[in-house]
Amino acid sequence: MAERLLHRVNPLGIATFVGFLLLWELGVRSGAVGSTYLPPPSRVLVGLKEISASGELWTNLQHTLVSALTGWVGAAVVGVALGMALGLFRPLWTYSMASIEVVRALPIVAFVPVAVLLLGFTSKMEIAIAFIAALWPIVLNTFAGVRAIGPRTVEVGRVLRLSRRDQIWKLRLPAATSHIIVGLRLGLTLALVLTLVSEMVGNPAGLGFALIQKGQALQPEQMFAYLVVVGACGIALNAVLLTAARLAFPGQMAAAGDDA
Amino acid sequence: MTQVDAPTEARGLECRDLQITLVGAHGPVDILKGVDLSVRAGEFVSILGTSGAGKTTLLRVLAGLQKAAGGTAEFAGKPIQGPPPGVVTVFQDYSHSLLPWRTVRRNVALGIEGKVSTAQRDSQVDEALAMVGLGGSANEYPYRLSGGMQQRVQIARALAMKPSVLLMDEPFGALDAMTKQSLQDQLQQVQALTGMTVVFVTHDVEEAVYLSDRVLVLTGRPAKFGHLIDVRLERPRNQISTKEQPEYLALRHRVYEALGLGDGEHG
Repeated sequence: MAERLLHRVNPLGIATFVGFLLLWELGVRSGAVGSTYLPPPSRVLVGLKEISASGELWTNLQHTLVSALTGWVGAAVVGVALGMALGLFRPLWTYSMASIEVVRALPIVAFVPVAVLLLGFTSKMEIAIAFIAALWPIVLNTFAGVRAIGPRTVEVGRVLRLSRRDQIWKLRLPAATSHIIVGLRLGLTLALVLTLVSEMVGNPAGLGFALIQKGQALQPEQMFAYLVVVGACGIALNAVLLTAARLAFPGQMAAAGDDA
Repeated sequence: MTQVDAPTEARGLECRDLQITLVGAHGPVDILKGVDLSVRAGEFVSILGTSGAGKTTLLRVLAGLQKAAGGTAEFAGKPIQGPPPGVVTVFQDYSHSLLPWRTVRRNVALGIEGKVSTAQRDSQVDEALAMVGLGGSANEYPYRLSGGMQQRVQIARALAMKPSVLLMDEPFGALDAMTKQSLQDQLQQVQALTGMTVVFVTHDVEEAVYLSDRVLVLTGRPAKFGHLIDVRLERPRNQISTKEQPEYLALRHRVYEALGLGDGEHG
């Protein structure tokens, strides 16, 4: 595992990133770029230390992650079940396809004011938004995965005389795993983004509200520090999910051409 | 077909006046028409024909994966409506037939898990893996194995079911010549050991003659069995010595001719 991680480190990519940070630092310090409110990376680091030391970072981080992940876990359970049902029972798909397409086409941000009205400025509202945001990619990818099973795999199930139940649990569901993982990853990103949005315009808490607050308080160092934290969250959550998927489903992930 | 044969016939495969029609781009096409087939229990029968002759389609009817348009297909005296118990098919495309998310051992267990006790399952899986010489790769994933080994996994999965009939659809068609020969010999040994019936579809004349008790040649369009050739070569057969026997060469000659691939003279 450590060897594989090491293999994935891309020195040139890292060098580019570090170079960009250096340019930023030099640009701001020399006065070539920027305004009063664009801090150099070194100042952002100072801002990060401040919010970390005061403890507000950890409170906000926890609030946002708990909301986003609660919504996402709920969406994962409901979404996989719904996607399976749609993929397995043709009539269900026929009846609900139009509704799904319409609801899915609505930008999820549009639900935020609705959720605020219905649920108020609460964490419950954030969770509901994260849930709705993550639900669609999970449903649709699970559905696509269930449908994507090869005709030969179905025949193998028949020839080996698997029960209908076993054909679902031992063939269809595992065959859909790599699709489901894609849905879960997309859903996770959307859940995080929409949680932040709902904190910005709805519930005054968490990382989203902190970004707004720091901006309005003219504390760009701390605002940028929160930005860094949000970015790191996205990367870390995705990495955790992928690693968990690789550990839990080694065969599926390798078969799906996983070399990310 | 006398009454004395009845017990054996009762476990065999029977087709009478079978007709198979598939719907193609230009409407329904008769693939097979007037096919009579009788396979006795314990027999090794090859179905041979040129590409597109309907060999695979016929096998799919016997496997219960394809409906016949007319006539009857029976196993053990009962009409074949879905995959019959005791009849297992081995497909040509091993890579699509194995489950990539299961290890070799769990692929082999697929057909019997939940149907027998855990201990029984493990012993049947071990036995099947040993028969195809894959005991050492039990915990590998299929994608890490060569094509020949993957096909052995599929055969082991069928053997674990302890079938009375093995239907094989060009199982060695995608393999190189050396792997093919070694798997032919392994199949020969397994059949001698288990006494199961094998219906083997191939387009390889040498393979058909080498392995079979009887070679059936599909010809015409729609196809039916034009020639039935008994192969009475001594068993166990040997890749070198059997293939040097004049009898083998004569049979090979007859089969090539039956396929219309001979040198022009008709026997």
